Amino acid sequence: MLSAARWRVGLEALLLCGFRPFFLVAAAWGALALAVWLAALSGAPLLSWVPGGLLLWHAHEMVLGFGVAALLGFLLTAVPEFTGSAAVPRGWTAALSALWLVARIGGLFGGAPGAWLVALAETTLLAGALAVAAPRLWGDPERRHLAFLWGLAALLGCVLGYHAAVLGGGAPLPWLYAAVGVLMALIVVALSRISMRVVNAALEERGDGAQEYLARPPRRNLAIFCIALHTAVELAGATLGAPAAPVAGWIALAAAAALFNLGNDWHLGRVLFARWVLPLYLVYVLMALGYLLLGAASLGFALPLSAGRHVLMVGGMGLSIYVVLNIAGRIHAGVQPESGPWVPWAVALLVTATVLRAAAGFAPGWAPVLWVASGGLWIGVFTVHFARAWPLLSRPRADGQSGCAGVAEDAPAAR
Amino acid sequence: MNAAVRWLAGLPAYLWSGWGAVASLLLCLALWEWLAGFYGELILPDPRAALSTLAGLLAGGGAWSELGITARRALAGFVLALAAGSALGLAAGLSMTAAMMSRPVVTVLIGTPPIAWLVLALLWFGAGDGTPVFTVFVAAFPVIFVGAMQGARTVDGQLAELAAAYRLPARMRLTDVYLPHVLSYLFPAWITALGISWKVVVMAELLATSDGVGAALAVTRSHLDTAATLAWILAVVGTLLAVEYLLLEPLKRAVERWRSTT
Repeated sequence: MLSAARWRVGLEALLLCGFRPFFLVAAAWGALALAVWLAALSGAPLLSWVPGGLLLWHAHEMVLGFGVAALLGFLLTAVPEFTGSAAVPRGWTAALSALWLVARIGGLFGGAPGAWLVALAETTLLAGALAVAAPRLWGDPERRHLAFLWGLAALLGCVLGYHAAVLGGGAPLPWLYAAVGVLMALIVVALSRISMRVVNAALEERGDGAQEYLARPPRRNLAIFCIALHTAVELAGATLGAPAAPVAGWIALAAAAALFNLGNDWHLGRVLFARWVLPLYLVYVLMALGYLLLGAASLGFALPLSAGRHVLMVGGMGLSIYVVLNIAGRIHAGVQPESGPWVPWAVALLVTATVLRAAAGFAPGWAPVLWVASGGLWIGVFTVHFARAWPLLSRPRADGQSGCAGVAEDAPAAR
Repeated sequence: MNAAVRWLAGLPAYLWSGWGAVASLLLCLALWEWLAGFYGELILPDPRAALSTLAGLLAGGGAWSELGITARRALAGFVLALAAGSALGLAAGLSMTAAMMSRPVVTVLIGTPPIAWLVLALLWFGAGDGTPVFTVFVAAFPVIFVGAMQGARTVDGQLAELAAAYRLPARMRLTDVYLPHVLSYLFPAWITALGISWKVVVMAELLATSDGVGAALAVTRSHLDTAATLAWILAVVGTLLAVEYLLLEPLKRAVERWRSTT
């Protein structure tokens, strides 16, 4: 009886706010799915039956498993806050989490039933997320956050295309590459909101009231436009057979330049090196480098495209997700972000993992070693994060507030 | 000294702000690459072919001397136009009568196509430096002249009277009242004229000389070498962009800052 009651309390705590289940499974699955992949690469006879092969499973789980979990956790929490609308009901959070879980389990089954299960679960998951987000984003009188809506819709399109290709015998990978592009654009949209608070708070903390950080829309829109165009051209090239590689290459270089251009908003002096500012800035730098490598590879440099893609994924997506897990994942549980030394270390380790994974593209002879080294750092960072976040997110809030409410004004500063 | 230090300190931020321009130029290259996919190598080679041809030309060393010759002619014509246009324009602006008299002349000068001047110059100066320099001068002069004249005409009369009433020293009157205002007209005119010079000189060389970028373009045209033609065009446009963004734009900003602080 006691244990059933404890279960209930735990489950209620987990479903208190959308980010809780999704941020936890993102960290856990980010580490676990990559460990499985590395073990299989090293020759362990794992998951040899998954549809489409293990490479496709790895790509799918990292983009639509890990990436989408973090994205949904962020949106379920941020959209009601940004739009001042009602919190997402607990039932929705539970249903969406269950769908996500079903999609992961389905991915482990072989054959057509597994593929259909994943397809149904994943499509319903994103359609459900749209159903939650659309009325809130559209109902906002100023409609300032519609970019999230378009991003979610585009992601749903990628998921549909992916599963149509898997079930119909087409090429599914281009749809995952397109999903990466959509996630990159969504990261720019989300970071522009997050950075406004983080950088200005850091400026205030430094007593630098004269400066103000502004994520300027024209610069952001140029970056989003370049990323979206690159995604569309690459996808059109792969699915329609248009000779797109060099065209996409130039656009990738343009996206890199447009992302570097975002740095102009950030160059406000030493505040750039503040604890939460530098990691966010590094996200843009790594994304720019990722597009730079992608562009160079598409234009004929002897470099695999996967090097650039992994800089986007490990660096751009991994680092931004890690930072969001650490900021939003604590503030909305009623505690301040950590001030200890672990987070800077983890950021450094993720950047190192990105560099190592990119290096594997330059030194094919060393690739297996570099994959394991890079993956090991990634697994370590997200495992430790999960271990540290679990006690906070699986228990009821200790500050007396409910739902997704932020840190109370009079709360004591973090350790 | 202070200005130089400030300029140097602002340089990284200024250069970094160029990424947006780089992004839109790269998008143009993507468009070019896309169009090149529809046409053959002969009609429109892709940007990579043009860029590698340009790299070959630059590495061979020949391109630098051609660019140098073209730059010399363009700058010679531009400097002559700058000196004559600014001086005469300011002088014309000081007198209502002179302004009235010069207006139709300037209209004629602006209206005459540079190619007409080029034919005349060929008859007068023959093949050599004289023809492109003269054509550049004639094309750039009216633009600078009009800018200078308007600058001089529109000086705030009340401000000038005030300066006279307070017996401002002549030097102060010049640097604080007249010069900032006149420069705000002159500077854009100079920049426009420099762009015109660079374009006109290539055209003049194409028809009139045996060396310089324009002559090189004539050769690539006769060889039907589209890649090399595009490479030379890239060289010309690249030089213009470099001069515009690395030299003139920072100068313009410095002048504007000076204006806003006075």
